[in-house]
Amino acid sequence: MNVIDVDDVSKAYGDVQALDGLSLSVERGATLGVFGTNGAGKTTLFKLLTGLNKPDAGSVSVAGADPTDGTTVRERVRYLPEHAGFPPSLTGREILRFHARMRSVPREERSHHVERILHTVGLADAADRRVGGYSNGMNRRLGLGTALVGEPAVLILDEPTAGLDPDGIRAFHEVVESLAAETDVTIVFSSHALGEIQRLCSEAVIIADGQVATAGPVEELRRAAADEVTVSLSLGSETAANDATAELRDHEAVSTVSRSGADLRAQTAPTEAYDLLTAVGEAYAIDRFEVREPGLEAAFHEAVGGDSRDTDDVPTPATANSGGEPA
Amino acid sequence: MSEDAASTDPAPDGGVAVDAPTARLRDGGTEQKTATEGTDESTLGRLADSSLLTIARREYRLAVRSRWALGVALLFGLFTAAVVQFGASSVGPGRFDAVIATIAELGVYLVPLTALAVGYDAIVGADERGSLELLLALPVTKGRVVVGTAIGRAAVLSGAMLLGFVPGALLTVRYLGIASVGPYAAVALAAVLTACAMLGVAVLVSTVARTKTHALGVSLAIWLWVALLHDLVALGAVAGFDLGSGAIAAAILLNPVDCFRVLALSQVDVVAGGFGSVLAQAGLTAPMVAAALVAWVVVPVGVAAKLIQRRRL
Repeated sequence: MNVIDVDDVSKAYGDVQALDGLSLSVERGATLGVFGTNGAGKTTLFKLLTGLNKPDAGSVSVAGADPTDGTTVRERVRYLPEHAGFPPSLTGREILRFHARMRSVPREERSHHVERILHTVGLADAADRRVGGYSNGMNRRLGLGTALVGEPAVLILDEPTAGLDPDGIRAFHEVVESLAAETDVTIVFSSHALGEIQRLCSEAVIIADGQVATAGPVEELRRAAADEVTVSLSLGSETAANDATAELRDHEAVSTVSRSGADLRAQTAPTEAYDLLTAVGEAYAIDRFEVREPGLEAAFHEAVGGDSRDTDDVPTPATANSGGEPA
Repeated sequence: MSEDAASTDPAPDGGVAVDAPTARLRDGGTEQKTATEGTDESTLGRLADSSLLTIARREYRLAVRSRWALGVALLFGLFTAAVVQFGASSVGPGRFDAVIATIAELGVYLVPLTALAVGYDAIVGADERGSLELLLALPVTKGRVVVGTAIGRAAVLSGAMLLGFVPGALLTVRYLGIASVGPYAAVALAAVLTACAMLGVAVLVSTVARTKTHALGVSLAIWLWVALLHDLVALGAVAGFDLGSGAIAAAILLNPVDCFRVLALSQVDVVAGGFGSVLAQAGLTAPMVAAALVAWVVVPVGVAAKLIQRRRL
């Protein structure tokens, strides 16, 4: 059963077409990762899902209702904006208590509920400090805390881990993983860390130019984009790398090979990667190697049209890597 | 390990402890729970937890902590004390009238300026800070956010101004006797009502402005209009076009500051300068002017509550 249905939605801000006929469905209990280039329309989509904006055309339904129709949807949906801020003179506890009151958390349970959220997001020690003295990461944690107040049916988080330190990112991952495992809360979040989406999400959608470029289960997207691994090697010298490149070009398991100085890169089937490394290692001294599995990065590049890693818009990929010094 | 203990113990590796969501949510509560269990709560408790008052209370707290409430109280305290000290301590039969006339004449500058300064960033400030989106994502209508914000700021502004009128009241009693407190209090209330009206205008400006700087500029222009230009234009129109009493009354009612002046001067026999010189022809009564001021409080805030729907987030 779909908890989110977006049908042929368009939204423009002046001359800028933020969304252009975007359609999307999310099943109840799914964890959906949304990624795309900057300005692709992710934040606009989230604002439509929470009823902060109205679409110019098309329809949006969340939890069976139009988000702009009264407060029904916002009672069940929690939204953490990308640039969420808080009044600097309030404390973290006061802000969470305010949200708890607004979310109709029963008065007798409010303090306890807020206390637990403070522990969940790692702000228990700073709960009574004014938010004006919080770091950017602490503000993001507090924002995540506000999204956990009450009993959400849908969590919509716009780049929730941006600016978080490793502890904060891990806390966010743990919260999402436990919510996904133990409740039927639907989680939709955007991130430029593709590894985060791979790790946490059952589904992913790539948005480009205001439309869904591709969508589906994360594993399917990865496999559809590429079925080869990339083996990167650093050899002792440029001459060695040149010779190794020539040999790899004749290797039938290698589909493509390229060289830059003493570094070379070859693509091959996952089952051939070990043999390839062994073959090169026996003939040359390998300083470093890395085997990169096909990831959402490949799906992203395929969806937005080619390898655009040289552009500023492309998110920093965090793919599943394995690598290290040769034994 | 108990659930409480589990929630408070730090993770062994120094990271944050994460509650199981099921436990956490069970301890939280839902709108549904409120609906069923809320019947046991008192009416006052439910009222206190209403979204409108919750927002107003938060705005009140923010305003008090920002210390401008203290500043407003001190400003009006100094103002009223100085006016009464210099006006009422001299010998003469018209001492109280002079005090009220002075408060009215200086108040037309001070009251709107204070209110506009207090309210110009009410909405646009929250937007720039990033807290407006979070507020509007809560289960509350956009209009209620505006109204709650206006109520909270109005409460602080009113309280601070009333506190500021206290030193003047004490000096009035000292120099003029207890009988003068009634008219003095009426002037103070008129000033507070006028301030709330101008605050409503400021909230409206704040709702439609794209930036705080824009809101500040528009607010200053409004202050210039209500405190200076409106009277000049109105007097010029009355003199130049020989307008009747209806036009004069309309000119007064269309400016909250003139309403304040009328209400203040209705407490004394003298008629001061500016637009006050033509009051006698206007046929206005104090309740009529007070009702106009109430409308000045309600209408701008109501319009702001509508216009926030169009604000681009």
